[in-house]
Amino acid sequence: MGALVTLNIVLPWIAALIIYLAKKDVVTNVLTFLMLPLLSIIAYLAYIQPHPVLIETPKWVDLLITVYDFGLLAYFFYQGIVRKNSLIAILASIQLIFLVIVLLMMNHSLTPNLYIDDVTLMFYLIVAIVGVPIAIFATKYMDYGEKGKHSFVAIVVWFLGVMNFAVSVNNIEWFFALFETTTLASYIMIGFRGDKEAVNNSNLALWMNQIGGIAILLALMVFIKINGVYHFTDLLKNPSLISMAALGFLSLSALVKGAQMPFHKWLLGAMVAPTPVSAILHSATMVKIAPYLILRISPIIKGTLLAKLLIITTGYVFVVAAVIALSQDNFKKILAYSTISLLGLMMLGAAVGTPVAVTASLVLIIFHAFAKGFLFVEAGVLEKVFHVKYINQMRRLIERAPLTLMFIFFGFLNMTFVPFGTFIGKWMMIEEVSNFLQHGSYILLIIYVGAGSAFLSILYMKVLGISVRKAHGIEKINFVKLPATFNFVSVWYYVWLLSMTIFIAPFIADFVVPIAASIAGQADIYATGLTLHMYDSTLYFWQILGALILIFLIHALPYFVKFKADVVHPYNCGEVFPRHMETWNFECIARYEGYFVAFSIALFIMVVVLGGGLL
Amino acid sequence: MGFFSKFRKKSPWILHYNTGGCNGCDIEILSALAPRYDIERFGMLNRGNPKQADILLVTGPVTKNCKDVLRRLYLEMAEPKVVVAMGACAHGGGIFRNFYHVENGVNNIIPVDVWIPGCAPRVEALIDGMVEAVEIWEKKSKEKEFLKDHENVIKTLGVEDDG
Amino acid sequence: MINVILTVLAPLIGGVVYGIERVVKARMQKRVGPPLLQPFYDFFKLMDKRPIMIHSLHALMGIMYFIAEWFALAVLLLGNDLLIAVFFHVIAVLALVIGASSVRSPYSVLGALRELMHMISYEPLMVLMVVALYLVVGSFDIRDVLNYEGYPILEIPLVFFAFLLTIPMMLQKSPFDVAEAHQEIIGGPEIEYSGPFYEALYTGKWIEYIYVFTFVFLFGGSHYWLGILLVVLAFLFINLLDNSSARLDFRTMVKFAWSVLIPMAALNVILLALWQ
Ligand code: SF4
Repeated sequence: MGALVTLNIVLPWIAALIIYLAKKDVVTNVLTFLMLPLLSIIAYLAYIQPHPVLIETPKWVDLLITVYDFGLLAYFFYQGIVRKNSLIAILASIQLIFLVIVLLMMNHSLTPNLYIDDVTLMFYLIVAIVGVPIAIFATKYMDYGEKGKHSFVAIVVWFLGVMNFAVSVNNIEWFFALFETTTLASYIMIGFRGDKEAVNNSNLALWMNQIGGIAILLALMVFIKINGVYHFTDLLKNPSLISMAALGFLSLSALVKGAQMPFHKWLLGAMVAPTPVSAILHSATMVKIAPYLILRISPIIKGTLLAKLLIITTGYVFVVAAVIALSQDNFKKILAYSTISLLGLMMLGAAVGTPVAVTASLVLIIFHAFAKGFLFVEAGVLEKVFHVKYINQMRRLIERAPLTLMFIFFGFLNMTFVPFGTFIGKWMMIEEVSNFLQHGSYILLIIYVGAGSAFLSILYMKVLGISVRKAHGIEKINFVKLPATFNFVSVWYYVWLLSMTIFIAPFIADFVVPIAASIAGQADIYATGLTLHMYDSTLYFWQILGALILIFLIHALPYFVKFKADVVHPYNCGEVFPRHMETWNFECIARYEGYFVAFSIALFIMVVVLGGGLL
Repeated sequence: MGFFSKFRKKSPWILHYNTGGCNGCDIEILSALAPRYDIERFGMLNRGNPKQADILLVTGPVTKNCKDVLRRLYLEMAEPKVVVAMGACAHGGGIFRNFYHVENGVNNIIPVDVWIPGCAPRVEALIDGMVEAVEIWEKKSKEKEFLKDHENVIKTLGVEDDG
Repeated sequence: MINVILTVLAPLIGGVVYGIERVVKARMQKRVGPPLLQPFYDFFKLMDKRPIMIHSLHALMGIMYFIAEWFALAVLLLGNDLLIAVFFHVIAVLALVIGASSVRSPYSVLGALRELMHMISYEPLMVLMVVALYLVVGSFDIRDVLNYEGYPILEIPLVFFAFLLTIPMMLQKSPFDVAEAHQEIIGGPEIEYSGPFYEALYTGKWIEYIYVFTFVFLFGGSHYWLGILLVVLAFLFINLLDNSSARLDFRTMVKFAWSVLIPMAALNVILLALWQ
């Protein structure tokens, strides 16, 4: 097991190094492509090993990471000075001081520093299957008039290894190091293009994420001071004694990393970078650390005030991010807001912490990773091949970019509609929390989930509505030939999503439920054939299949069906002069954005102060 | 003439268009819809939408501005369809005849099937005209009907995509 | 058995319901009104029209709307989970909205966008209603709801009332017929459909009647007479409201749903949960 884990972490690093040094197209393309089977197989081999396991690491690794930590923070400090951004410098120096304190307080612990359990292995699989195709996509994407292709691909591949490392650590101090490394990665990637906007946004990402780092260090201090432990597994051993304040800080760092309001700006800023950056940040890596962290502590916080406040906060973000997304007109921004929104939902599920809710959260993580990766890849294709960035440029996409539109359509459907994973996640969540409605936060949750999914559906339908609009006769459908790399990546995601949805019942019952069982206990979910059962409710296979066929027909059939009927003009009061109707920009909502954010700050403070028991 | 044609007469849907009359006729149409005469008894509905209407009920002398609109409405209706011209103006201009801005009646623009005389016609006359229109409508086929100079008309009335 | 019949014959029964509604509405206005089978005459007439369309996608979406609506009803009546049935309804809305916004007609697009506003008004409430039923009955299974010994309507009256006021939103009735708004945007999403293609939408509406009134029926529990009574009363109430009120702005509709109906239903649910 140890070898497999090491391979999983180190292999991408080696590949990245080679790519970076070689700077040759062949090397880059072949190596990234090789990563896909290699990492998938390694992740799978690790998955079939007996787990969970704790892995001992040599002493020098510990030392190395500590040194690396200081180096990293020093680098942040240096960047703050160079970029003349005092905020970054101050936050970095605070972290440095805190880190010294933590290291002084830390006494030796016998608990191994790596912990590989089902969640870790699931993340390995996600990184391999969802993350690597994005690197493959990047190899072609960067050919379209972008500088620094090789170093970019190298960073992306390296980042996959970092992510694999981050989800396997047990020592929270190590976790801090990797948390900061992901911050570093996002800092570099967002600022990759090097223009003014990119620099500004990368600064934003840096200081916001450093707040998360500070929160982790604070949590560490409290853990060591009060409980004397600093490993995730140790925390789980006697949950009742763990200090709430520290958990509050940990959740704070999760909220920051998960770009929950009011810290959502950094994730939005990521859109100035090349599109694969957004894809990698949103789908398989980076922001997924947030639900991961909450999942780790969910058995401890389950049922506490902190959990309830987390539910209220993340649920609020789920709805409000979807609402704000309505008023956006940049395609990538819309996707970013919907990520923020769904991240809220994932954390919400993890915070509820019952077996079924955790299952729902995991289902959301998996399906969201696939769908978002898919959507961002298509956004990249739109941007580079069809020069479409804003939704009002998406007009007549059905003629100009039929396949890409079909993929986007499918990706959107995956985000809210029956019978896809995200729907199942919501369904489970609602049915689960219906059992403890006595608490106000849970009824709020139901309203949140109902409303949030309605808002997201509206958002997607609004965007799709523009791209299919056509005066009369969709005749000149123009199947543009796309690069093979793009097609491969799109089809890869498409096929995965489709097959996972068809076999969703066994997938959830045999793959996701055991993972949830390792966190929160066995959920009452099982599958008979392709039918999914949960408590007394049943999602029959004929329902899944029927919905799938309906959805499939709706998104793919328009290209094949040609009715033999005469074509007439659209009704325009009989007038000849053209009247345009674009779409609503929901200006009325944009006006309240400030209030929404202000309220989210209040909720945030509540999580830390009340949830952490600081009062 | 299939099985469905037998039921045709039970549900004629009306599209009403005023091409610039004095509104007298339109008031009569409204009163036909109202409880006293209630033409919904015969399954008639005022749809206000050419795509779903069967009977085009035109009033007024057709001003120059209305000409193309009238043509387009007619073209947008699916066959079988009937045109009913209501009131003196629709027949030849009525009191507006030979004004500088009128086309002197509906017949100059689109083919008319039923004429309802009067200025304004009584509701009874309207209903009578409708019944006659339905009779004509029953006998029509689904074949496409063409206007004079059809191709050109379509071209000038078309809508183009933007961008 | 009865649910299978209801599902298979949904368009027929829905058509009769629509016919009854037209008569009832006419009588309320002191008119004679059309014959009872008028919807079917319309149906046959539309079959007999020359098919014309804007483009195939648009026409296809109309048909998909009909199928999706029927399927949602089948899921509601033949499946066993009410919540899933609520979410299936969204697919029908998807087809309708995609179809309506695929044409360059401002009315159609406006109608599609307003249809979305309808959705945010009734969707959360439907979810809440199902949860409320779960709270009463202890199961999301429609059969368990129909075997429940008590009277759900007595335990969740506010939810029922809130749902009663959302029915006009779902069935496009005044004062909440914002998306259809015949006098204003001439039918909204359905404006560009004609002949046989319009038929799909027209019939889809009938199925929606059954879909909605099934939910009303559930409030009677195992007392079917009560369920039928509720359905009849709801039907009359909706028509009365339709006849006696003017159309509201869509903003008012959303505000009303969010500031009155949803809090009302939530209050009922939370009180019931506390009381249990
Ligand atoms: S026919 Fe007479 S009543 Fe009718 S519109 Fe013309 S002028 Fe007015």
